[in-house]
Amino acid sequence: MDKILVILQKEWLEIRQQRGLMLGVLLPPLLFTLIPLGIIYLSGSLVSNGSLSSPGKSFPGPTFAGMTTAEQGQAVLGSQFSIFYVLLPVIITSIIASYSIVGEKTSKTLEPLLATPVRTWELLLSKCLAALIPGLMVTWVSGTLFVIGTAAFAISGRVFSAIVSPGWLVVFLLWTPLLGTVAIAAMLAISSRVNDPRSAQQLSVWIIVPFFAMFFGELAGLQVLGLGFTLSVVVLLLVLAVLSIWGASRLFQREVILTRWK
Amino acid sequence: MNTIETHKLTRKFGNLVAVDNLTLSIPEGTVFGFLGPNGAGKTTTVRMLTALIAPTSGTANVIGHELGTDNRSIRRSVGILTETPGLYDRLSAEQNLIFFARLYDVPAQLAQEQAERYLRMLELWERRSDRVGGFSKGMRQKLAIARALLHEPRVIFLDEPTAGLDPEAARTVRDFIKELRSEGRTIFLTTHNLPEADELCDLIGVFRTQLLRVDTPVNLRTGLFGRGTQVRVVGNASGWASTARSLSFVRQVTSQDDSLLVTLDNPDEQNPQLVQALVTVGAQIRFVEPIAHSLEEVYLELIEDEPATSVQN
Repeated sequence: MDKILVILQKEWLEIRQQRGLMLGVLLPPLLFTLIPLGIIYLSGSLVSNGSLSSPGKSFPGPTFAGMTTAEQGQAVLGSQFSIFYVLLPVIITSIIASYSIVGEKTSKTLEPLLATPVRTWELLLSKCLAALIPGLMVTWVSGTLFVIGTAAFAISGRVFSAIVSPGWLVVFLLWTPLLGTVAIAAMLAISSRVNDPRSAQQLSVWIIVPFFAMFFGELAGLQVLGLGFTLSVVVLLLVLAVLSIWGASRLFQREVILTRWK
Repeated sequence: MNTIETHKLTRKFGNLVAVDNLTLSIPEGTVFGFLGPNGAGKTTTVRMLTALIAPTSGTANVIGHELGTDNRSIRRSVGILTETPGLYDRLSAEQNLIFFARLYDVPAQLAQEQAERYLRMLELWERRSDRVGGFSKGMRQKLAIARALLHEPRVIFLDEPTAGLDPEAARTVRDFIKELRSEGRTIFLTTHNLPEADELCDLIGVFRTQLLRVDTPVNLRTGLFGRGTQVRVVGNASGWASTARSLSFVRQVTSQDDSLLVTLDNPDEQNPQLVQALVTVGAQIRFVEPIAHSLEEVYLELIEDEPATSVQN
């Protein structure tokens, strides 16, 4: 445990000293929180228009049943942005992991590091936690602010429940650590083949592509983040996380790193 | 007692044999020079002995720990200066050292003290809080050497410790190595700087995938070239060569201008007889001195005799 803490301290010290990296870690959550809350607030301020206060044609799905036009508008807008909290853990952890792992390659510190008595699983766990913990913290803090802001700006409890739905809570609390883990494992695999953090991040974009399908599904009103669906995906992500960590651990062996990493 | 012992240590990468049946014994407190051309397998050997990579076959024992069985103990007991210093540019010199010391299980307080001790010893204390990214090559090298010593290992692997250093820094490092030897530590030194190897090493191994020769620098010279005496005479020396050759203890004679180069088994005892024989036949001797073969001559003689033997199986 000692060594894990020592490596974590070093990793976070290095992260804090890189302005570009800090910007990449703090800016997306800030934007993903302020912009949606701003839009939710603005959409709520339109309630004073009488025609929006009466029940209108309902969006498909039980979530919007009985809602006024204004409520539906705010609920739909808010739901679109809630999908961003699926992307945040993937983005943040990928950024940190790319600098962390590729950084060791470019500074040629891997060999002296591996020459110490530290076990490879300790090193791997430290690298994972160094990316996962900040990624989760930033995601959960910004998500919590989003929830608080939504509670404050939602024009009704129904709107709040439509945005901060049970499905979304499953995503926010359970998907995020699993997604972060998968992203880190993918970044490890990518980092073994590239020698520049930016190249690693560019390649990691492909991890995010499937989640855009969910985003467009929400936009099309398919209610992707239903509770049943999200819980099913938790199981899938758990399996994926275990497999990806197993794969990452096979890549992260002393011999493999020293002889096969480019 | 041998600190490092290998028996038929071999490492292959696919069909390429990088290290072929290396059998070696290095006594405690020895500075062992591991010489060989680029691509000879020296770094691969060091990586095996420091338990970074596994051998394909063969065995090795480092400070009583068996390679393959006790790898963490080996890594805990040895220090290594890798080919490139490998330091964290964004951390300060002191932060770098404390980080690595902690990974070598040095307690936090002691890590601080050891960092200070070696930073002072290597004249880096004034720069302890500066980021390593701003260090010169020589400073990085010295810092990396300090890193290799924080946990007080009994065996230290130094890969090109003075490469790229200015003469003053190189001298500091060489003196430091001598000091480490005086403490009874074993130094495994790979270097292309042959005069440095000659100065520092008690034992030298010449390696090119296989171990070509291992011996003390003196024995390497005498083993290949014998021990020789140069006799400078007045006039051309060629006329006196036959006189020298007629002596039973003379192995070889060549003449160059006014010099006779005579290879003997025991110059200390045979030089007076040689000189007497030449004077008797009328040679006028200017001076007599031993022939000094450089380590470079030894090395090149050995390497050129042996073609590259990394075998494609």
